[in-house]
Amino acid sequence: MKTLWTSRLTSFLFVLPYLAAFALFLLFPILYGFVISLQDFELLSAAHPFVGLRNYMTIFTPGTYENSIFFRGLWTTLQFVLYSVPLLIITGLGIAMLVNALPAKLRGLFRTFYFLPYALSASVMAVIWLMMFDTNAGFINSLLQKLGLTGIPWLTATPWAWIALVLTTLWWTIGFNMIIFVNALNEVPEDYYEAASMDGANAWKRFVSITLPSIRPVMLFVMITSTIASFNIYAQPFLLTRGGPGDTTRVLLINVLDQAFVRKDIGSASAMAILMALLIMLVSIVQFRLTNRKEKV
Amino acid sequence: MKRSMQKGASLLLMGMMLALVVTACGGNNAKNNGANSGGATQGADGGGSSGKKTELLFWSPFSGSDGPFMKKIVDKYNSSQDKYKVNFVIQPNGEYYKQLDVALSTGKEQPDLMIMHVDQVPTYQSKEQLQPVDELAAAAGINPADFAEAPVKYATIDNKLYTIPLDIHPVVMYYNKDLFEKAGITAPPANRAEFDAAVLKLTDKSKGVYGYVVPTLWPQQFIFPSLVWQNGGELWNGTDVAYNSPEAVEMVQWLRDMVDKGVSPANVQQDGENTLFLQGKNAIQFNGPWMKSQFDEAGLNYGVAVMPQIGKVKQAIYAGSHGFVVPKAVTDSTKLAGIGDFLKYVSGNSLDWAESGQAVASKTVMDSAEFKAMEFQSTVSQSFSSVQFAPNVLNWGTIIEPVWGELSSALLGKKSPQQAMDDAVAKSRQAMK
Repeated sequence: MKTLWTSRLTSFLFVLPYLAAFALFLLFPILYGFVISLQDFELLSAAHPFVGLRNYMTIFTPGTYENSIFFRGLWTTLQFVLYSVPLLIITGLGIAMLVNALPAKLRGLFRTFYFLPYALSASVMAVIWLMMFDTNAGFINSLLQKLGLTGIPWLTATPWAWIALVLTTLWWTIGFNMIIFVNALNEVPEDYYEAASMDGANAWKRFVSITLPSIRPVMLFVMITSTIASFNIYAQPFLLTRGGPGDTTRVLLINVLDQAFVRKDIGSASAMAILMALLIMLVSIVQFRLTNRKEKV
Repeated sequence: MKRSMQKGASLLLMGMMLALVVTACGGNNAKNNGANSGGATQGADGGGSSGKKTELLFWSPFSGSDGPFMKKIVDKYNSSQDKYKVNFVIQPNGEYYKQLDVALSTGKEQPDLMIMHVDQVPTYQSKEQLQPVDELAAAAGINPADFAEAPVKYATIDNKLYTIPLDIHPVVMYYNKDLFEKAGITAPPANRAEFDAAVLKLTDKSKGVYGYVVPTLWPQQFIFPSLVWQNGGELWNGTDVAYNSPEAVEMVQWLRDMVDKGVSPANVQQDGENTLFLQGKNAIQFNGPWMKSQFDEAGLNYGVAVMPQIGKVKQAIYAGSHGFVVPKAVTDSTKLAGIGDFLKYVSGNSLDWAESGQAVASKTVMDSAEFKAMEFQSTVSQSFSSVQFAPNVLNWGTIIEPVWGELSSALLGKKSPQQAMDDAVAKSRQAMK
């Protein structure tokens, strides 16, 4: 009995540092952000009167500035989520399988290659891709012109701007998903595949019937983290397209930060951020439910 | 053995990656230097007989190559006298007003003196964050008439002055001297006729050389307002945004014509005009004085001139300006005297600041032989008589924001200039409510 109690205490002690950091750097700011969203919080004003849900109501009142920047930005962000998340999952899994199919001595090297960009800062990523995508002096268009093709306006026309942003995001962040998938693939027992091969299952059949079901929990994790990351899209459009062409890639976070620090209306900006967080939570829950239901069938 | 080799390769890659990341962060190191050097000076003063020095916390956004120049001025000041010690702090440029707003609103670790762009002064003044500097300047023997008129006039609110100007950075014209020579152009164009003729001559499609590559995004924030004012238009007419006037629309059309005439390529992306300029394929660009160091490093054979008058009505040049401001919360008379003393010193010794490439606002320095010998800076200062700053309107930054997207749509040929500017006005009016 006593050992159980000690073991529980020990477990708790292990969790404690994270719990403290979580409370201090995540839970408290979120709660404080919610409190701010209920105030008329002008950054430079001394008084921050409580206004209840007024900031939220303004966002939902058609015709207001807050309404237009929130929903226009949200629509742009949703488009990015739709375009990027499937590719983040498929490419991540694809690269993981390719890397795993390599001879053992090359595996580590390629894992490092693909993970490299993940460690770069946003500004380095932007400098590289501005040079790659430049319409009139960029690497990709020079290559296309050498092949006798016309250059592509990567960052100044749709749908190219979206393609460019998704490509950049894949290059920049795919390493994370790949590593997770590599580990998941290594967990699948080798004898499943051997048995299936003997029964005459081809590669595609083995992938659908063995690989995918075995890595489903990891798939769910990758899906949810990728969705959350894509909702938080900011640096790529901010640095590469500046929200353009026009305002087609002006994502929600650009508008929220403008509202907070250019317009200095922290109350309204916090309300937007809270709404965004609620939406992300909702989407995650739906993803979780849908995937879990499949498991029961 | 093989396994360890492969591990070695991975480690090497990781090392390279780390090096990249570290270099990328290198820019931020300057932030700490200021604080460190402050500490060092304090240590050295231990033997001074004057007792305790009054410390002044001085904030600036000079996280670029300009930081060391201001630090030099502060260091020289600190060792020139023993009553005050200025602690120089650099905040990252992009984060500056964010940091400042937080410091001012929480009241913790507030600066005693800070750099502010002149077009921000009315906002912070209206939020009661700044105090007038008239008395402080008078006591220290600083005469506002000794500075360029434009920032002094702009930062004078209800007959009270709120800033001591440091520099003015107007948009200027950079041109590639080699391309000019090849095209047989001897002097930089100064008006629309000369400009239109020059860019046609400079364009050589067979070599991929363009006369004037039109930026579609930044730095239109400097170019577009200049053109509108030059053409007799306004951004703000006193009660409303006015950039869909015929005068403004004509200038958007003029920019778009550059693309249609083939003087500029289409679909110029962010920084595209600068990339081509650095490659010697763009003969002219309008940009700020801060580009100088980049062009120098690239070893470009370039010249600088006052932006030509493209509009039909008057010469007008959009500019930013750095000035010193004092938070309202600073009431300690010794501190205020110290601030005055330091600002007096800076206005007489801002030649070090000019070294950074900036044209300084102090007439004493501008009239000095040393400043006149600086070809670049003295050319920039020739714009001073026609500089204009952003309209003095609360939340101007978010009000004018839609213009940049709509202007880029017009320059990319997605919308007609009139349509784009009408849409911008409609969006801006929403932001004014």
